[in-house]
This record gives sequence, structure tokens and C-alpha cells, in this order.
Amino acid sequence: MAPRIDGERPGPGLAARVAARYGLKVEECRASADPAQSVAGAVLLDHGATRDDIMAALGGTAFHTIERDSAGGAEGDWQGVPVCDHGLYLSLTTRTAFGAQCAVLVCDALAARGVLTQERRSAVELCLHEAVANAVVHGNLEIASSAKDRPDGYRVFSQLVGERMRDPVLGNRRTDIFARWRGAVLVIAVSDQGNGFDTAILPPDAGGTARSGRGFIFMRALAQDVTVTDGGRCTALRFEL
Amino acid sequence: MDFESSTSSDGIEARLRGRLEFTDHDRLRDIVRLLESDGIKRMVIDLKDLEFIDSAGLGMLLIMQEEAEQRNVKLIVRGPRNDVKRSIDLARISEIITIET
Repeated sequence: MAPRIDGERPGPGLAARVAARYGLKVEECRASADPAQSVAGAVLLDHGATRDDIMAALGGTAFHTIERDSAGGAEGDWQGVPVCDHGLYLSLTTRTAFGAQCAVLVCDALAARGVLTQERRSAVELCLHEAVANAVVHGNLEIASSAKDRPDGYRVFSQLVGERMRDPVLGNRRTDIFARWRGAVLVIAVSDQGNGFDTAILPPDAGGTARSGRGFIFMRALAQDVTVTDGGRCTALRFEL
Repeated sequence: MDFESSTSSDGIEARLRGRLEFTDHDRLRDIVRLLESDGIKRMVIDLKDLEFIDSAGLGMLLIMQEEAEQRNVKLIVRGPRNDVKRSIDLARISEIITIET
């Protein structure tokens, strides 16, 4: 039996939650929100999947690639996300997402499918990387940027990451990447299971000596649009290819 | 990220390789430790073999700058290329750190 993760389990609210998060139609999400059916069509990876495992799965034809949590469970909001003809969905536990360089793996898959050219890749990869880093560190591991705001902040930060990754709840939270493309437009959404944040407090410009907020500067500069939904738990990046 | 270091008469140089990103805070400790050598007046962080840097990696360069200032060591970041240079330019950290191309 998988541990409960903050109440975010498939249930009556799943379709509405997923639809709102990703800007999908509720009916589409409701149709796919049959846990048994969604699991049957997905590639399920064992907990602690390696980069090679993930790469091989993303190179196949399944839409959903899902890593099991440490208790063997695979439940998650991904079960409400309908299969898209032109898309892919990757759901990893935070422990795996932290070191897997997910942005590289997803961009490799997008390049292999002919979606991403070499020319556009580096901007997409950097933005996706920043969104994943935020989801993992600030979202799922609940480590505030201010952890680094002291002289030995980077030591404290490293220690907090280690401690929280070992926490059975925080380490098993999901970091999900949902990419869709149509014509010359690619949208990639990154979501987490943290507490979200107040988007009104995002600094307009975090240049200079600011120790945080620079990731959003990159995303805003390199993506054509950046949208934050689900109370700060989802960042959607839109690129014109 | 991996790095190699070498010492000359006036300072120390660290050559970074691979990717400098949010998972590398542990390695930062090893680079900061280089500043603790006796008589160091200047430190060069060479980025020409660095392939990727994220916002956390840029934050680490700023931490290095602060650590160097506290010890009266002049820090120079040298040779960023391609994507690494783009990130440094976008974040405008050359207003704070000496960047040599």
C-alpha cells in the first residue's frame, strides 16, 4: 500500500484538478481518470529508476512513463491526464528526479521525435531544467530560497536536501513533466506536490546579487510564455519552435 | 561537476568541467576550501570546459565572490562559452563578478 501523499490522490476531484492545472477540458480528464485503465497503458518503472531506464521508456510509444514510489505504488494525478497523440508525460519521485537530469532526458526524447531542433534545444532545456529544479527543491522538498541567505547557506542547503530526500513523504512526492506539441508550438508543464507559493511575490527582476529568482528570469527571457497554475504547484512553459 | 585545481606564484585556478547545477552544492564546499590556502591573492575559476550552468550554479559563483572578498582574494571567472555565457549574460552577473572572456 503506497503512503498517502498530502491528500493528492486520484479521487472525485482528480479530473477537475488536472483540467484546471493544465488548461484541459474536464470531460477529457474525467474520461481518462479510471486508475485501472490508465495504469494498463503506462510504462511503470521500478522505484529508483536509472537515467537509462527512463530514457528507454521515453524512447518507446507509451504516453505515460511513471516511476513507482518506494512502497511500489504508482498512483498520482497523472491518472487524470488524457493520452495525447503529440505528447509525453513523465512522473518521477523526487528522489529520482533530483539526480536524473530530467530536462536532458525529456529534450532527448523530444529531439528523437523530431519536435526539437538543435537550435531551439538549449533554450528549452534550460527553462525546463529551472522549472524542474524549482519543483523538486522549493516545491516537493519545501526548501525556501532563503535557506541560502546566510554566510554558510550553501552548507545548510546541502544538508536540508539530504535530510528531506530521506523523508518518506517528501522523497516520494511526484515531479511530473507533461509535454504537448501541435504545429510549431511546444508546451511543457512541470508540476509538484508541494505547498505552492504566492506568485504575486515573484521578484520582477532578480539580477545582481539576489540569490534566488534567477530561474524565473531565464524562463521569462527564453520561453514565449510562462504560466503558473495550481497555486504555484505547476509551471507551464510555451515555446514557439 | 568536476574540477581540477592548480597553484601558481600569485594564485590558484580551478577548472570546472561538465554541468554546474542545483545538485552541486556539495562540490562548492571543495572549491571554497581552495580559498583557504595560505597567501592566496587571486583565484581564477575557468569555465571554458563547463557545458551547462543553471541559476543555482550562477548563485554559486556569487557565493564564491563573497567568500573570496572576505579573504581579500580577487576572484576572476574566465572563459565562459556558448550556453554558459548566455546564462551569465542573461543574469547580468558581470556587474558583480569580473568575467574575462
